[in-house]
Amino acid sequence: MGGHLLANYAEAVAILLFGIGFTNLLLQKNMIKKIIGLNIMDTAVYLFLAEKGYIAGHIAPIVVNGDVSPETYINPVPSGLVLTGIVVSVSVTALMLSLTIRLYRRYHTLDLDEISIRVKREER
Amino acid sequence: MEQLLLWPVFCPILAGIALLFKKEFKQRKTLLVFVGSILLVSGILAIYGIFAVEGGVTLFYLTKTLPVYFKLDMLGKFFTFVVVIVWILAGFFSFEYMKHEKNEKRYYAFYLIVFGVLIGLDFSGNLITMYLFYEFMTLTSMPLVLHNQSREAVMAALKYLFFSFAGAYMALFGVYFISRYGTTLEFTAGGVIEAGVLQQHSALFLTVTMCMLIGFGVKAGMFPLHAWLPAAHPVAPGPASAVLSGIIVKGGVLAVIRVVYQLIGVEFLRGSIVQTVWMALTLITVFMGSMLAFREPVLKKRLAYSTVSQLSYILFGLSVMQPQALTGSLLHVAAHAFIKTALFLGASAVIYRTGATRVEDLRGIGKGMPVTIWCYTIVSLGLIGIPPLSGFISKWYLATGALDSGMAVFSWLGPVTLLVSALLTAGYLLPVTMQGFFPGEGYDWKRFAGKEPSYLMLVPLLALAVLTILIGVLPNGLTEEFAAFAAQVM
Amino acid sequence: MEIIKNFPCLSILLCMFAAIISSALKGRGARWLNSFVIAAVSVLSFAVLYLTITTKESYVYVMGHFPAPFGNEIRFGSLEAGMALFFCVIMMLSLNGGRKKLLLEINPAKENLYYIMVDLLLSSLLALVYTNDLFTAYVFVEINTISACGLIMITERGHTIEAATRYMIMSLLGSGLFLIGICLLYDLTGHLLMSNIKAGIDAIVANGTYHTPLLVTIALIVVGLAIKSALFPFHAWLPNAYGYSTVSSAAILSSLVSKGYIFLLIKIIYRVIGFDTFRDSKIINVLFVFGLAGMIMGSLSAIRENDIRRMISFSSVAQIGYIYMGFGLGTAVGMVASVFHMLSHAATKSLLFVSGSGLTDVSGGHKEFLELTGSAYRNICAGLAFTVGSLSMVGIPVFSGFVSKLLFSQAAILNEHKVLPTLIALAISTILNTIYFMKTVIRIYTPAHGKYASASWKENPAYAVTLLLFIILNVVLGMCSQPITDWIAQGLSVFA
Repeated sequence: MGGHLLANYAEAVAILLFGIGFTNLLLQKNMIKKIIGLNIMDTAVYLFLAEKGYIAGHIAPIVVNGDVSPETYINPVPSGLVLTGIVVSVSVTALMLSLTIRLYRRYHTLDLDEISIRVKREER
Repeated sequence: MEQLLLWPVFCPILAGIALLFKKEFKQRKTLLVFVGSILLVSGILAIYGIFAVEGGVTLFYLTKTLPVYFKLDMLGKFFTFVVVIVWILAGFFSFEYMKHEKNEKRYYAFYLIVFGVLIGLDFSGNLITMYLFYEFMTLTSMPLVLHNQSREAVMAALKYLFFSFAGAYMALFGVYFISRYGTTLEFTAGGVIEAGVLQQHSALFLTVTMCMLIGFGVKAGMFPLHAWLPAAHPVAPGPASAVLSGIIVKGGVLAVIRVVYQLIGVEFLRGSIVQTVWMALTLITVFMGSMLAFREPVLKKRLAYSTVSQLSYILFGLSVMQPQALTGSLLHVAAHAFIKTALFLGASAVIYRTGATRVEDLRGIGKGMPVTIWCYTIVSLGLIGIPPLSGFISKWYLATGALDSGMAVFSWLGPVTLLVSALLTAGYLLPVTMQGFFPGEGYDWKRFAGKEPSYLMLVPLLALAVLTILIGVLPNGLTEEFAAFAAQVM
Repeated sequence: MEIIKNFPCLSILLCMFAAIISSALKGRGARWLNSFVIAAVSVLSFAVLYLTITTKESYVYVMGHFPAPFGNEIRFGSLEAGMALFFCVIMMLSLNGGRKKLLLEINPAKENLYYIMVDLLLSSLLALVYTNDLFTAYVFVEINTISACGLIMITERGHTIEAATRYMIMSLLGSGLFLIGICLLYDLTGHLLMSNIKAGIDAIVANGTYHTPLLVTIALIVVGLAIKSALFPFHAWLPNAYGYSTVSSAAILSSLVSKGYIFLLIKIIYRVIGFDTFRDSKIINVLFVFGLAGMIMGSLSAIRENDIRRMISFSSVAQIGYIYMGFGLGTAVGMVASVFHMLSHAATKSLLFVSGSGLTDVSGGHKEFLELTGSAYRNICAGLAFTVGSLSMVGIPVFSGFVSKLLFSQAAILNEHKVLPTLIALAISTILNTIYFMKTVIRIYTPAHGKYASASWKENPAYAVTLLLFIILNVVLGMCSQPITDWIAQGLSVFA
């Protein structure tokens, strides 16, 4: 078990980071901290993917000198996925931030529970 | 030819829906003529259907194995006959009674719709069709309970709805299992599930049967789910409470007969724990209903409690699972339908003319409304079971059936309970007559003078009283049919 | 015939372009464009449905020049096409039903933004329905989430912004789990196309290696999608999001957005994990238990509500529970029942939301039951439609809800171990449904003395027609269920 973990330390770290991010997104009250958690979570996934795609000793998948044998290059698909993922996570983060700004302008706090209380009070 | 069966079902339903959406009539008379002619036409169609149509007709397929299917057997014919007679008579009674009520059009609309739904219930040839119309019966009859929309009526309607739906879902539980294990869902004498399957899953099927009995028993006011009945029936307008108590409760009885005799089969149930429990429940209900009626001062409520008790006479006869008792039950279905409708109509006529609702207010009423109270008295005697009126015959069959059943305790406990309850029936029905005709010394007779209602009210009452006598005097045609049916299913 | 195979891709692109063009249009133009696009996609989907039903096959459409296992694919059979058509119909009806209300509730300058969101939502739903690539599915899940968030917050009231934020947070948690699940699957099998992953998983299962990682992966994906579709106990965001957003949004969210995720889950179960592998995993029991709990807890919460919109929303929690319960039964019949319930619930819930808004409009905008007294007389169409929806929810024969309950119970009876809990939960949940829906129906039919003005259908004929169409849809689902279940079963059989 320990041996596997050590051999795959990057994956282990990625999952650990994912857990940290997930917990932050779920449990933090502060909106900004939640968004930071979201980003940690997403980045952890990219780390995982990048690590999966990397093959030690191979080079970036750009064809040089007409060498097309798979033994030369790393797997390019995960890199593509990471790029796509980053686009998605950026847009989601932007949306979350814009929501946060609106809430802050209206209720002058970043604490989500406090916001809920003020929303209810406002309704009455 | 078979398509003829659809007419009496859908003619009143469609007419009722059309009536709901139509603007108010300019003249009340147009409304009455419309409703009356629809009632008569669909009644005649239904009766014609009873005698002329042999086969069945499938309306549509709910799923591949579940057709909505109409077919008339003896049971369906008999129930249809009772429904048609009572519904038309009570309908004509309404023409006078509803004169001063609000929302008259809505009342007739739902009155017609329920009529069609009830005929559909009686015509249904398989379990799923029956369940469908059973649910619709609950839903469409609720507006009748709700009619005056007072707080009391709304609460009663809610109670009615929840009890009925709870019951219907208990029954639905059984429908699932029967449709899974049964060879067909069509009503078949002796049951649709093979004996081997029944034995293999006997515990399951006993549970299922008990659930269905209690579920459908809700409508028939069987203990422990009877509480809605005394709340819901009296708040409806007079004629509506008459048909609720006289006819709609019989929907539960029909469903129970179908389940016990034509789906599960008597062979499997006879001597089982289900039979014992069911019998005990019915006897408790018979006694309890009579006692509650005896203590109740408001006449319409008293009659509703009486319904609880009398319905369990019928259920008791069914639970004995013996040909004579079954005959008695079916006879009592007709007898009780006519009698209870007449009783409620009588009580409504009194309320309509005098406003008196409590029994003690009715002292000396016999002089003012002699025909009404005479009819009331005749049918009361019928319900108590005085020969030669109809209640006597049915109770006779019930009692002999129970005695012949050969069951240890119930063979004598049943007849004894019936007898005690008959005494109580006399105790709660006859005071109206006695005080009505003999109010005692120094009574002011002017109070009710000239309160006799119009012919529109009297004729239905008289007709029902005559029917009560007729069934008592000439029961042979019916009993032969019932005996044949009993022989078929047992 | 050959050209029809391009239609799924075309319909996705059509919606996307409509969204882009709408950003340059005024509200009115965006509205027309949106209606046109939905109608066009309906026609396209109908053509695809016709093709797939007549040939009884499913087709693969290669996007770009790279064939499997590298390129991106669309795959469609009759179930996908039918779902797309159904989504379009419901979306069209929901939008029409809430159109007038929408104009009152939002800033007119922002009307085109609303339709951008709707177009995007439709495109992502179609993509979720048609795609055969897991990572594409993830991307469109996020697009779906973002546009749904936009639909919730368009009215810009405090409640809706807060609800949108909470919705967003829960959704992101769900999609995070989904994403890491996909990555693990990619790690395990080396593929992203669903069919290829399935081959890889079958090999893993046959070898017996990687048992636990596979289980964890399945769990991550299933839980991720369950969170997004608001399975109990992940439903905390739902009542506010549905309860305070504008009525079209609420109808679309409850009947389409959550269904899109569920449809994706069904697809993953059949096409990625494999139905047998899924059935043999323990996760199915977890889904079953949460489904049952949702059925009852959702209804209990709905009974306690005093706000009609929130009551309907909580009822959604219960209905989602039904669907997951059907998954949990682990039989093909249970799956058919679940899919049918998706249709039935989508049709009924949007009907309830739309008719409910008609009732609150004639009650001075109040959503409390006391104020709704007699509203069915003030708006006859809405009252009637609400009654039909309630009866369907309660499970009265002839309406769609009854058929789905029938199918669920038939499926349950085939599973010896789960039959009793299922039937008991069905019974309890049905009775609870009866309590709160019938209470509402009686409440709206109890006459009240002219406190509020009534509304004739002539003032808003589109609304009345929409309600009528909803009612017809509901009755059709309830009366002609046999061809529909046949279609679902056939669609599922060519799914894998």
